[in-house]
Amino acid sequence: MAVSRRNPLATVALGLVAVIWGFPTLWVLYATFISPRTGGLTLGNLAGALQSAPFGQYAINTVLIVGGLLIVQTVFGAVVGFVLARYEFPGKALITGLFLLQIVVPVYAILIQEYEIVQGLHLLNTKLGIMVPYLVSGIAVLSFRQAFRSVPRELEEAARLDGYDTVGVFLRVYLPRAVPAALAFAVISVTYHWTDFLWPLIVTNTASARPIVVGLATVAEASESGLQWNLLAAATAIVIVPVLLVFVSGTRRILSAFASTFDW
Amino acid sequence: MSRTAAAPERKSLPGEPAVPAPRAPRRLASVGPYAVMALPAALVIAFVAIPIVETAVKSFDQLGPRGQVTGFAGLLNYRSLFAQPVFIISLQNTLTYAVAAVVLCVAVAFVLAQLLSSRAGASRPLLVSIFSPTVMPMIAAANIWLYFLAPRIGLFGQLLSALGLHGTNLLGEPGSALGVLVALFVWKFAPYFALFIMAGLQAIPQSVREALRTEDPTGWYAFRRVVLPMLAPMMAFVTTMALLYSVETIDPVYVMTQGGPNNGTTLVMFYLYQLGFNYFSWGPAAALSALLMGSLSTLSGLSLIGLERRAFHWQ
Repeated sequence: MAVSRRNPLATVALGLVAVIWGFPTLWVLYATFISPRTGGLTLGNLAGALQSAPFGQYAINTVLIVGGLLIVQTVFGAVVGFVLARYEFPGKALITGLFLLQIVVPVYAILIQEYEIVQGLHLLNTKLGIMVPYLVSGIAVLSFRQAFRSVPRELEEAARLDGYDTVGVFLRVYLPRAVPAALAFAVISVTYHWTDFLWPLIVTNTASARPIVVGLATVAEASESGLQWNLLAAATAIVIVPVLLVFVSGTRRILSAFASTFDW
Repeated sequence: MSRTAAAPERKSLPGEPAVPAPRAPRRLASVGPYAVMALPAALVIAFVAIPIVETAVKSFDQLGPRGQVTGFAGLLNYRSLFAQPVFIISLQNTLTYAVAAVVLCVAVAFVLAQLLSSRAGASRPLLVSIFSPTVMPMIAAANIWLYFLAPRIGLFGQLLSALGLHGTNLLGEPGSALGVLVALFVWKFAPYFALFIMAGLQAIPQSVREALRTEDPTGWYAFRRVVLPMLAPMMAFVTTMALLYSVETIDPVYVMTQGGPNNGTTLVMFYLYQLGFNYFSWGPAAALSALLMGSLSTLSGLSLIGLERRAFHWQ
């Protein structure tokens, strides 16, 4: 189908778009890694940026927050999704509505109340404080529910005849068939939480719990006021180079995970 | 129930407990669902349901310097919010920004989706280039643009100097600074929304596409009368999402302009942040929170309904 529609105009236009969209990023990488004096490779800017802020600590915080959230959200999502997909019980609509509410009302919409709760729990400036409002993901629940619904009933009945109890059926029959949905959800969750800014910004006030995106914004503020533009470019490079490498290695898979974000 | 009747016919395995297995799921069906969902449901109640009620109630309360309730205020918080000139400016800014950003972003996303699906397979460097803004945090994207636009040092600034426009700083004028935020929004999100529109295009059945090609080879009539209506639910979904994202915008404001120059880029979300966490002006902040909760949740709910319609349309 594509052969008949391929025309040179579209190819040129697409090339142009790619240049416009890629150029600013390439320019920042160029400014970071190429020395203006020698024209050769330099790691000086990178070293300077690494010294200007505890990026190692920020990176560890980010991994712990994002990884921890992914595990908890996946466990809750799988269990609740399974119950909602396979059992009938009074109040089911109400409970489904509760998890839908979690999707419909973003944390940003109830920011100040969330802040007061975290403050009341004495979790300000902690990684757990950043995580608590996000522990249950409605998107995870709906993704798993959808994946479990498409598992044929016959498979479950066969497993029951083989002597599996409910937990066994869940682990051996249902979970393996939800792996694609779980991976797509993982891409969504990880992307959302490692790029999240406002919530971790207001919860943290020192480097001990701060994730990398908040750290980067702090460096940007400092370098902007001191007009240390190279520091800004290099600090940005520290954050985007790893994610660009991951993206280059799994381009199509990551893009299709994004496109299936709302595939319930 | 029917399974219980079938149970006696089951082959009995050695060492199996005497209790027939089908009993287990039935017991789970009675209390199990509640037990299993108690913790996640409690978390959603504590961190979503209760804050919703609190946000609404507190907007009518008199709040002390640390945000504690000191009495009933009626509409006082709302009155003092609307009496702030900066709030009115932030509303105007947000309206201009949201309309421009959403219209441009959806239009660019639509064209991008057409371009990307008109080729058998775009090459990897092309995809990486176009979708690199999609995978990076907004803060990083804002930094990149800040560096790009920096007067004297940035490439854009140098370009303007070469054209004789010395010292032009796009972030230095209220109008052009808001324009930069719009352009950044389009750059960051248009490829992301194009992915959804592409999925919508692909969902059009092969048979329909075949028929269109023989019936209407030039494509314009078919596009207008068949493809566009089939794509409409997806376009509605993408537009609502873009609107939600634009109203939520705060990251680039924080990094690039801090609301300036002269409040030219103060958007409502940034204003809420300032009221609550810079000025500790809890009363107006509570009123603005309640208003934002209403509008953001409505947008997000609408996009969810759009999604259901899309699903209904295709499945």
